[in-house]
Amino acid sequence: MIYQILNKIDQKVNIESAKAHCDIPCGIYDPIIAQISALTAVRMLDLMTDFDSKTPDRNKEYMNSMARYIAVKEEHAERAKAEIRVIWGDYLKAQHLEKYPDTHALVHKIMQLGSKVRQTTDREQATQLVEAINEFAQIFWETKGVATKRAKAPYAPALELVYPAL
Amino acid sequence: MLRLLKISGDSLTPEYQNGDFVVISKIPFLFAPPTCGDVIAFQQPGYGLMIKRIQQITPDGRIEAIGSHPESVDSRVFGTVKKENVLGKVIWHIHKV
Repeated sequence: MIYQILNKIDQKVNIESAKAHCDIPCGIYDPIIAQISALTAVRMLDLMTDFDSKTPDRNKEYMNSMARYIAVKEEHAERAKAEIRVIWGDYLKAQHLEKYPDTHALVHKIMQLGSKVRQTTDREQATQLVEAINEFAQIFWETKGVATKRAKAPYAPALELVYPAL
Repeated sequence: MLRLLKISGDSLTPEYQNGDFVVISKIPFLFAPPTCGDVIAFQQPGYGLMIKRIQQITPDGRIEAIGSHPESVDSRVFGTVKKENVLGKVIWHIHKV
């Protein structure tokens, strides 16, 4: 009873908050970093395929370039996973998860796809990662009441991404 | 004298939940100084108005205030709290229902 009264007062006058945070509460969350990271992993796979078909010699130069593509793929697949974990762990609250009960399963799927993208050169897994993160982005923006749109990324590999329609 | 605050964050869970209200006051300090276990609100430069539990008082009279959550941002991150920055201790906890 007292809580409900105070809550109503809070909605009108905004009672001062005392922070009991577990992290610096910057409040800045955006799945776009994860989306671009996943897209980068696809791009690296495309570059690897293209480079491999055009470079017959398996010399030092070949290995050097291939190693660099692989390193970037590794880094960005892991970054995509890390960014999703932060939004899932720090931003999403119980009320969001009640409304979107499949979120845990989706995040788990993203973690597994991200690992597959690191372990393999399977482009299909990488495009599935982009799409799974798009689904997550859709949920994220809905929790904020922000409408979304799907549009092709304006750079290779030009896959569709979910953007906030601001 | 009395100040009403709303808890924001989970570092004092499970006892204090995000969204709970608390009333804090300095009046209890007229009778007894801050002691270990007190839940206090304080201003921490660079961090704002915070609420944590007193872990210990250092020999030079500063307060080590920590949360119950292992990743709590507290004295383990920003150091001890000056006594003059303490705004009061919790005297009434209104739980979220």
